[in-house]
Amino acid sequence: MQAQVEQWLKEGNVDIFIGYKNVDGHVIPHFFTNENIDEVKDLVVGQAHYSLEKIATKVAADHPDMKIGILLARNCNQQALHVLYVWNQLNSNQIQTIEAYEASSDPAFDLGQSEDTAPYKQKMGLVKSMVPKDVEAFDQQQRFSRWMYEFSKCIKCYGCRNICPVCFCKECSLEHKDLVRAGNLPPEIPVFHLVRAVHMAGRCIDCGLCEEACPADIPLRLLYRKVDEIVVDVFDYETGTSPDQSPFSVLGEKVVLELTPIDE
Amino acid sequence: MDYKFVPSVCPYCGTGCGVLFEVIDGKLVGTLPNKTHPVNEGKLCIKGWNMHEFVNSFMRLKQPLVKTFGRFMKTEWDEAIKITADRFKEIIKKHGPDSIGVLVSAKITNEENYLAQKFARAVIGTNNVDHCARL
Repeated sequence: MQAQVEQWLKEGNVDIFIGYKNVDGHVIPHFFTNENIDEVKDLVVGQAHYSLEKIATKVAADHPDMKIGILLARNCNQQALHVLYVWNQLNSNQIQTIEAYEASSDPAFDLGQSEDTAPYKQKMGLVKSMVPKDVEAFDQQQRFSRWMYEFSKCIKCYGCRNICPVCFCKECSLEHKDLVRAGNLPPEIPVFHLVRAVHMAGRCIDCGLCEEACPADIPLRLLYRKVDEIVVDVFDYETGTSPDQSPFSVLGEKVVLELTPIDE
Repeated sequence: MDYKFVPSVCPYCGTGCGVLFEVIDGKLVGTLPNKTHPVNEGKLCIKGWNMHEFVNSFMRLKQPLVKTFGRFMKTEWDEAIKITADRFKEIIKKHGPDSIGVLVSAKITNEENYLAQKFARAVIGTNNVDHCARL
């Protein structure tokens, strides 16, 4: 991995490589360039995951012609890049990747944290690897009150949006003063969270960074999994792997979808 | 072009969450939570997430102000410290050391808190030391 990166930098295949480096015991994102090529030997793959793709979009916005190398430490990194290509946030010609998946990680359920769900949450029936099907075993009233409880814990830190590799809008609906009133805690529920959930349709690649960043431990991943499930059912669109434009980027008369109730 | 991440500690409250500052060409442009930090484990509150904003704020005070004839005047650190020391001496001479109290903070380090109480006890000569959390 290090040798490859060194070669790329020397040959000019990439101008900058975004990977990880151990700094004072913390494995944090690090930029490797020709100027600090000696540091390439310190390139590591850590347990903790950051959204390197989001960092790459920032670099690309500053330097549109720069060739960027990215370390892929999890399956979702590739999918996030794919979504960013589809939404024209990154140019695939500009990006080079190196796969260095951790052998132990199961991309489907790995949250990048070694710890399991806390005992209290387990007792309350909320496991981190929950899928929408598990939740649908409960009746609607139970589900509703549970979600309202979870949403009511929100401290409106915007961490879920800030950490999200596929959140790139210049103007965010969650900060629009007519949609989300300032100064209230929790924010208007469930609208605040559902607005974000709707915007995740066709974008969320189930990386789990939002849930990891949530100080209130709201099961956001589960919510967005449901949204993704609907996108697959209704549009037959697999976010992060389907090569075409997201069904949500089509405007106006092209929409031929019939209205159907969600709960049948 | 110089991109880097600098690990640091959030100065907002006494919790001490670990953060990463995103620095581009010497300018602070973003804040990320440090995922491996034992205190916050990759989480931050809204204040922590927006730390780069106050660092770059145009409202930020970058040098000390001394109130002279009812107006705040910009001055140098040496000058400000000298004025403060002179006023302290005056007050202590007139009203005794117990007329001064030192309030320390959860937002500074343990070592700085130690120095503050040492200053109160050894330099000023008072036991009036308290903490912002009890205000």
